Amino acid sequence: MLRNTTTRTLAMMALSVPAILGLAGVAEAQDKFKLGMAVGGNTCCEWMKSQGDVARALAEKEGWDYVELSNNNDPATALKNAQIFVQEGVDAVIQFNGQPSSNPAISAVMKQAGVPIVTYDIADPGMYFVGIDNLAAGIAGGEGLGAIVKEKWACNPDLVISAEGAAAGIVNEWRTGGMRTGLKNVCPDIPAEKWVSFESQGDAAVGLPAARDLLAAHPDAKKIAVVGLNDGGVLALINAAEQLGRADEVIGWGQDGAFITGDNVNPHLAGSVFYFLEGYAVYAIKDVIKPIAEGKEVPLKADAGDPASKVQPCPVTAEQAKAVPDMAERVKQLLAAPAGTTEYELFCPNKG
Amino acid sequence: MTDVTAAPARRPGLSEDWRAALTGSVASITLTFIVVVAIGWFWVGPKFLSFGNISIIGTFVIVPLIVGAFAGFALLSGVVDLSIGSMVGFSSALFALLLSLGWDPASAGAVTLLACLCFGGINAIAIVGFGAEPIAATLGMLVALRGIAWVLLGSQGSIFAFNLDMFNLVSTTVGGLPLFFLLAIALTLVAALVVTKTRVGRHIRAVGGDDKAAARAGISVKKVRVAALLLSAFGAGLGGIVYAAQLGSAARATGFGLEFQVYAALMIGGYSILRGGVGNPIGGALGLLAVAGVSNILDLKAISPYFVNIIVGLLLLAAVLLDRIRGGDAYE
Amino acid sequence: MSFNQAIETAPPAVPLTVRFGGWGTGLMLLAVWLLLIAATSLYRPDFFSHQTVLAVTFTMAVVGVLAIGQGIVAMSGGFIDLSQPANMILASLVAVRLSEAGMPLAVVIVGAILAGMLWGAFNAAIIVFGKLNPVIVTLATNFIGLAALFLVFQLAEVPIGSEIYHFGRASFLGLPAIFWPMLALVLVVGFLVPRTRYGRRMIAVGGNRAAAKARGISLKATRFATFMAAGGFVGFAAVLFAATAGPFNPGSANTLQLNIIAGVILAGISLAGGRGNFWMLLLSVGFLSTIPTSLVFFGLSSDTQSIFQGFILVIAVAIDGWRARRATP
Repeated sequence: MLRNTTTRTLAMMALSVPAILGLAGVAEAQDKFKLGMAVGGNTCCEWMKSQGDVARALAEKEGWDYVELSNNNDPATALKNAQIFVQEGVDAVIQFNGQPSSNPAISAVMKQAGVPIVTYDIADPGMYFVGIDNLAAGIAGGEGLGAIVKEKWACNPDLVISAEGAAAGIVNEWRTGGMRTGLKNVCPDIPAEKWVSFESQGDAAVGLPAARDLLAAHPDAKKIAVVGLNDGGVLALINAAEQLGRADEVIGWGQDGAFITGDNVNPHLAGSVFYFLEGYAVYAIKDVIKPIAEGKEVPLKADAGDPASKVQPCPVTAEQAKAVPDMAERVKQLLAAPAGTTEYELFCPNKG
Repeated sequence: MTDVTAAPARRPGLSEDWRAALTGSVASITLTFIVVVAIGWFWVGPKFLSFGNISIIGTFVIVPLIVGAFAGFALLSGVVDLSIGSMVGFSSALFALLLSLGWDPASAGAVTLLACLCFGGINAIAIVGFGAEPIAATLGMLVALRGIAWVLLGSQGSIFAFNLDMFNLVSTTVGGLPLFFLLAIALTLVAALVVTKTRVGRHIRAVGGDDKAAARAGISVKKVRVAALLLSAFGAGLGGIVYAAQLGSAARATGFGLEFQVYAALMIGGYSILRGGVGNPIGGALGLLAVAGVSNILDLKAISPYFVNIIVGLLLLAAVLLDRIRGGDAYE
Repeated sequence: MSFNQAIETAPPAVPLTVRFGGWGTGLMLLAVWLLLIAATSLYRPDFFSHQTVLAVTFTMAVVGVLAIGQGIVAMSGGFIDLSQPANMILASLVAVRLSEAGMPLAVVIVGAILAGMLWGAFNAAIIVFGKLNPVIVTLATNFIGLAALFLVFQLAEVPIGSEIYHFGRASFLGLPAIFWPMLALVLVVGFLVPRTRYGRRMIAVGGNRAAAKARGISLKATRFATFMAAGGFVGFAAVLFAATAGPFNPGSANTLQLNIIAGVILAGISLAGGRGNFWMLLLSVGFLSTIPTSLVFFGLSSDTQSIFQGFILVIAVAIDGWRARRATP
C-alpha cells in the first residue's frame, strides 16, 4: 500500500516535470514597474531593516511593484538574491551589500540581464553609486572631534584610539582613516606613537573585551580621544573605559549617528556624523530609479567621488543631535514629507 | 536498524531492499523533499520548477553539496568534523590570496587543497593518534582556522580575486542547469555508490557503527578514520575554492557558521553527528536541497529569511524524532 | 569514537581518580597560565597592573557563569548546550525590558534567571519527551530562538544610569562587581555538586545512564533539573552581560559560544559526562580570558587570538585523549 502510493507519487512527479517546465516558460504579463531591494541583513544595525521599509513605502507611493530580499550579511546569499531579482523580472535593483566582496559577481549577473543596480555606500564599477563619501564623512567627523580635542586638551591627548571593523572592508579604512586625517587637520602634531586601534567588529557588545584589553595595554593614558567606523565601535571603547574606571576624560566621536539620538545617549559620545542611512531610498529613487522608470537614459556613475546621487554627511555634536528625532520618528516624518525631500534637508541641524 | 545503508553481510532480497528503502531515512527525507517541492509548486507556481529557478537554487547549494558529500564520510565513520565551516573560509582566503599574488588558478588550487589536507591531518593526529574527542578537537580547529583565515584576509577583511574565466566556468550551464551543480550531484551519486556498494564503504560504516566490532573483524579503524577526516578537509577545501570562483573574492563572512547549516541539513537528510554508520550521501544531498528549497520559497514569496532558520530548526527536530521512532537511538 | 559508545563503555566513576585527574588538569592549567603571565610580563613589565586584572576579570565574569551552565549540561551527560546564545539574548532582553520599566535590580535578576530557566525547561521538554539528543535539540532551538528574536527586536540596551547599569560599572575590593557573583557561583557549585544528593545524581546520570536508572534515579527528573539549572545560570550571565555590554543585538552572543565550550573542555569537564571539577573553570576561563589581553601587550592583532585559543584547545584535548587512553588498558 505504502509502496504503491510512494511509487505512484514518484512517477507522477517525474512525468510532470517537463510539463511544468513548459508552463514556466510563459512569463507572467507585466505592466507595472518593478523595484527589487536587497537589504543588508546584518543584525548589527537597526537602519538596515529601515532601509527596506522606506524603500517599500516610497515604491508604493510611486505605484510600483516592490520585492524585498535580505542579503543575510552573507556574500553567497547576496549573489543568489541578484539571480532571484533577475528571475522575478525586476526593472531595477537597489542593494545594500555589507559583504561587498561579492559585488563583482553581482555586477556580472546584473549586466548580463540588463538590469540596472544601485548600490549604497560601497562602490562597484558596475553599479550606480548612491551614498555617502565615506572618506569625506570620516574627515568631517575627525575635524569635529579635533575641535574639541584642541579646545579641551590643546591638541595634546594621551592616546587616540580607533575602533576598527575590518569586516566592512574599504569602508572601514575610509571612515577610520578619514577620521584620523580630520583630527590631524586640526591637531597636526599628535605624535605617531599615540595612535592605536582595536578590532571592535562594529558592535558595542562584541567589541567590548578587546576594548578593555587595549585600555589595559595603555594603563597611563588618561586623555583619550576615540574615533571609529560607527557609533557602536566607539561605544565599545567608552563602555570599557567606564568599566576600568577611566572614562572621566574620554571623548568619542562616532560615525552613522546610530547611538546619538534618543534619551539613552552616552555622555562621552561627543558627536557623530549622521548619514540618515534609513532614508537613502529617497536619493536612489530621485536620481536613478524614477528616471529609469520614466524611460530616461541615466548615465552609469559608479564612483564614490562622482556618484549617481550624493548623500551629504551631517556631522553633529551631541548637543546639536538633541534636536534630531530618533530613527522611528525620522522615518515617519520623511514619509510624510513631499517626494524627493531628503532627511538631510529635514533634520540636519548644521547644513554645511 | 531498518536503514538501507546498513547493508547486512548477507545479500538482501529485492523486496527487503524495497521495504528498507521505503521506511529508512532516505525514504523520509525523500518524502520531506517531495513535500517541499509540492508546496513550492502549489504556492509559488510552476516557475518554482523552472530551469531558471532550479539553477538559482542549484548555484547556491553547490558548495554545501560538495562540503556535505565529503563531510558525510567523517560522520559515517563516527567522527564529526566541526572545522568544515572555517576550513571553507580558510580555503577561499588562501586561494584568493594566491590568485591576487598572480598565481595561476591550477597551482593556487593545488596548494590550497594541500594546506587544507595538512590541517585535516592535524585533526586526524589529534583524534585518531591521540584519541581526542572529535567534537572538541575539531571545535579547536574551527576557532584556529577562522583566526588564520582572518589574518590572511588582512585589515580590509576581504581579498578581491575576480577572475572572469573562473566565474564563467562556474557559471557554465549544461542543458539549462549549472554545470557545477550537476557535478555536485554526480559527486553525491558517486559517494553514495562508494558508501553502499563498495568494500571501502562497508568498512567506513562498520567503523562508525561499532568500532570495536569493526576492529575485531580486521578493519583498521585508524586508517578509515584518518582517511575520513582527510576527505572531510579536502571537501571543505574544494568548497572554499568554488566559493572564491563564484563570488570573485574571499571575505570574513565566507564559510562563517556553515558547519551548523550543513550539519543541520545533513541530519534532516538522515545522518547523525553523534552516531556513525547512519545516513547516506543521497539523503544528505536531499536534506540540503530541501532546506535550499524552503529558503527559495520564502525568497519568492518575499518572506523574512529569518523564518528559514525557524523552519530548519523544526525540520531538524522532526527528522531526529522520526529517526528515533523508526528505531534509532533513544536518548534518555 | 561516538559519544554513545563512550558512554556505554565508560567505567563507573571512581571518585578518587576523578579528583586526582581533576587536580592534574588544574596543575597543568595553572602552570600554562602562569607561564603566559610570566612571558607577557617579561616582554612588557607593565602587564602586571590593576588595569590588566580588571580587563581579564571583566571578561571572565560573563564567560565563567555561562561555563557553569555548560559544565552542568556536560557533566550530566547532556554533552553540549548549543542554544546558550539564544537563551542569553532572550534573558538579556528580559533584563533590559524590566530595567526600562524601572524595576529594582533584584527583580531584574530574578526575571532574567526565570527566563533562562524557562528556556532550559523548553529544551528539557523536547529532550525528555522526544527522547532526543540534547546536542541536536539545542542546535535546533538555537536556530529557532535566534531567528524568533530577530523578528522581535533589533537593538536593546539597559537605560544609562539605571541600577543594573551602575552594577556593570561598579567595583568591589578592587575587582569588578560582576566578577564576585561569578567567583561565588563557581566555588559554591563546585563545592555542592560532589557533596549533595542532587549533584551526585547528576554525575551518576552523566557517568552511566543505565546504572543510574538501575539505582532508581529518575532520568527525566534529573534531565529537567539540570537543563533548568543550566538555563538559570545562562539567565544570570545575561544580567552580567546586559549590565556591561551597552547596546546589543540578537547576534551579539554568538561569538561567546566557542570560547565557553573551550573553557569547559580545558577545565577537564568531560563532554561525555560524569567527570570534572567545576573549580577548574576558574583556571581555564582565567587562562582563556588572559590570552587576548596578553596578545595586545605583545602588539599582535586580535585576529591572532583565535589561532592561539584554537590550537591550545586541540592540544589540550589531544593530551586529554592520550591520558584517557593510557588509563584504560
